[in-house]
Amino acid sequence: MPTVRLRTAAEYPAAAQKLFALSRAWFNHDFAEPPAMSRVMAWDPGFGGPHGRAMKRAMGPGEFTRGEKEMVAAVVSGVNACEY
Amino acid sequence: MTGDAIWYEAAQVVGITNALNVAADGLGALGPVDEATTPPEARALLAEIRAFYGGGVGPPGFRLIAHDPAYAAEVWAAARHAYGDNGLARRFKEALAFAVSVTTRSASGASFHLSEMRRLGVGERGVMEIVGVTQMFSSYTKIADMLQLEPDMGGIAPVDPTPAPGGPAA
Repeated sequence: MPTVRLRTAAEYPAAAQKLFALSRAWFNHDFAEPPAMSRVMAWDPGFGGPHGRAMKRAMGPGEFTRGEKEMVAAVVSGVNACEY
Repeated sequence: MTGDAIWYEAAQVVGITNALNVAADGLGALGPVDEATTPPEARALLAEIRAFYGGGVGPPGFRLIAHDPAYAAEVWAAARHAYGDNGLARRFKEALAFAVSVTTRSASGASFHLSEMRRLGVGERGVMEIVGVTQMFSSYTKIADMLQLEPDMGGIAPVDPTPAPGGPAA
């Protein structure tokens, strides 16, 4: 059970709704609720904003494909034994 | 990156990379084999490893476990299979091994796989892409763990219905 109560998208301000729309586009998936991590990152835009932009820069097109980078991300998550 | 086969390949790279890093980082007290005095089968094995790595010495762990050449040969057979071109290219597998090494704080593994990435043609931009992904997801995972988030994205990946290699279709 999460340490905090995860708010629904409706409980966030309008600026966060734009972030949730970007999250849907990023994953190309229509979530019933934005992923928990998206909602966590939207809690404090002062942290979530630059953190998200750094992630997008790292995951964007380059020498490796987005798919390859998703696999690297999965490997890092697995090695960190992160269930999420 | 669909289909389970490439994920099995990635898992092999993760496992064998960690195994070799464990040896390289933890078995220094054994000392590397001395090729001048080691048995011929160990010399042949190390020569095969050098050939696979374009003349370089290969993962440093092998010179430590080569004190038992028969054991090292089996580990090498698994490693060669895991790191070779298959569904995933060798160049990308070195990037995975680099990410594993950085994440597990294996300085020797990170150094070795960084040099292999470069040898296989990954430029500085590509290196920094892998550094960025590794670092950012090292952050996401710890935030998720701290807040004990429950998985909620498993459903976006398609299920691969194909059988195991050589197995009958369900």
